[in-house]
Amino acid sequence: MTTENFTGAPPLVDPHQSMGEGLVALQKRNRFIQGIKVTAVWAGLIALVTGGMLMLRISPAYMLAHYNVILQGAGTTLYVSLVSIASATMLALLGSISRLSSNPIAQGIAGFYVSLVRGTPLLIQIYLIYLGLPQIGEQITQLGFPAIGKIFILDAVPAGILALSLNYGAYMTEIFRAGLQSIGYGQREAAIALGMTPLQVMRRIILPQAIRIIIPDVGNQFIAMQKDSALVSVMGVWEITYIANRYARRDSKYMEMFLVAAAAYWILTILSSWLQGWLEKRMAQAYER
Amino acid sequence: MNAEPIIQVSGLHKWFGMLHVLSDITIEVQPREVVCIIGRSGSGKSTLLRCINFLEEPSAGKIMVDKLVVEAGKKGRANRKLIHEIRLKTGMVFQEFNLFPHMSVLDNVIEGPVTVKRMERAKAVEIGMMNLDRVGLLVKKDEFPNRLSGGQKQRVAIARALAMEPKVMLFDEPTSALDPELIGEVLNVMKKLAQEGTTMLVVTHEMGFAREVADRVVVMAEGEVIEQAEPASVFNSPRDPRTQALIERYRSGGAK
Repeated sequence: MTTENFTGAPPLVDPHQSMGEGLVALQKRNRFIQGIKVTAVWAGLIALVTGGMLMLRISPAYMLAHYNVILQGAGTTLYVSLVSIASATMLALLGSISRLSSNPIAQGIAGFYVSLVRGTPLLIQIYLIYLGLPQIGEQITQLGFPAIGKIFILDAVPAGILALSLNYGAYMTEIFRAGLQSIGYGQREAAIALGMTPLQVMRRIILPQAIRIIIPDVGNQFIAMQKDSALVSVMGVWEITYIANRYARRDSKYMEMFLVAAAAYWILTILSSWLQGWLEKRMAQAYER
Repeated sequence: MNAEPIIQVSGLHKWFGMLHVLSDITIEVQPREVVCIIGRSGSGKSTLLRCINFLEEPSAGKIMVDKLVVEAGKKGRANRKLIHEIRLKTGMVFQEFNLFPHMSVLDNVIEGPVTVKRMERAKAVEIGMMNLDRVGLLVKKDEFPNRLSGGQKQRVAIARALAMEPKVMLFDEPTSALDPELIGEVLNVMKKLAQEGTTMLVVTHEMGFAREVADRVVVMAEGEVIEQAEPASVFNSPRDPRTQALIERYRSGGAK
């Protein structure tokens, strides 16, 4: 509402504008009140669970004394998940472009990879890579190539990262494929008409648009992966689940340690959801009306 | 007529499977000439336009753009390079605008010069702003396409094509996706370009535009060129009965 009060004239007020502003303010207040109500329900639920635990003689003192060892494991969990999601993204990009290419070799390899990985359990893939591959390495060593044979014998952390990357790369290949296919053919044609090479079309026009579409799904995958990374505990990697398990057995405090572990995963995934929401908002800027 | 055409299409055929969409097309466009291609939907006029910059691959025949000749059916690196150079010499405007929604208006316009021509950004911005000014949308340079009307989008698309400084502009039904009240602003921009001496090949249903702006009108039906002449002669004394029907429909207000 700009007015020219210095001339002494009464301020000009558009009645419709102030009505609109009033509506917006009302909506804002309603949203705020709704938010408070939902938060109250959450607080109630947390109080209920905590109360229940206390009644069941679960020791909060033990939990408080051991949350820091879980925290150390959280670092490993986060590290494994971050490296794995990054390499899974690379694999998925490669896989999706191969699946959409007209080259039968690329298409065949990518299709085979997705089918094989999606059709077998992650736990078996971890065992195959950690326990199975060294068998092959041994044979190659016996054939007289110890340098090559050594490559197949992986430490627990690299083996876990490899398994998670391959596994999630396959699922994400399908997400990327759908994202790339959702960009209209007119976009490609406009870029080609400007004289772009296929690589430029992909990098400058298709990918940036596809990424916005697939971010929610990739965020979902990242959250799922943080929890699936618990499976690498079978190799003795000192991440959240392995540490919780060790202490729980030693002190017979199963409920306590696994609750702390669960809370750690929960907090990690809540932080990831925030990151995802922020990214989505940022990418949506061009599409606001 | 001039001896050195900028576009020369000769003996062009196009099959989509069994469907013979273009049959032995031969047309020329002279420098600074405005040629409109008219005809009913499905007559092959858009396909013809898209064959010139190889968005469609011609099945047979020859395409020449500014002394670069490509024969249909040839493969290989040298041929791909020729096609690439032809695309640099032609600016294309689509029915559906096809602006890049993730880029601002100015970024849309400088994308070609920066990515394809490897031009310095500052220089590209200068050219981009000049061309946005030509279509009257410099004020919208920082907006995203989503916030523009259809007519404004198409004008930005025209600026984007112009920024590549092509030898000839190809328009593929540039007003067919627009609300009636937005058609005028796009046609006005095109008229201005024509007056500035831009070489233009325009596929259109806008008979009024063809009649007023074109130097020559090419009439197509069933994949063939059935008539081409100055607009006055096509509109006042059409020879082919199919042209007569087309003009009649336009006169009675049946066709836009």
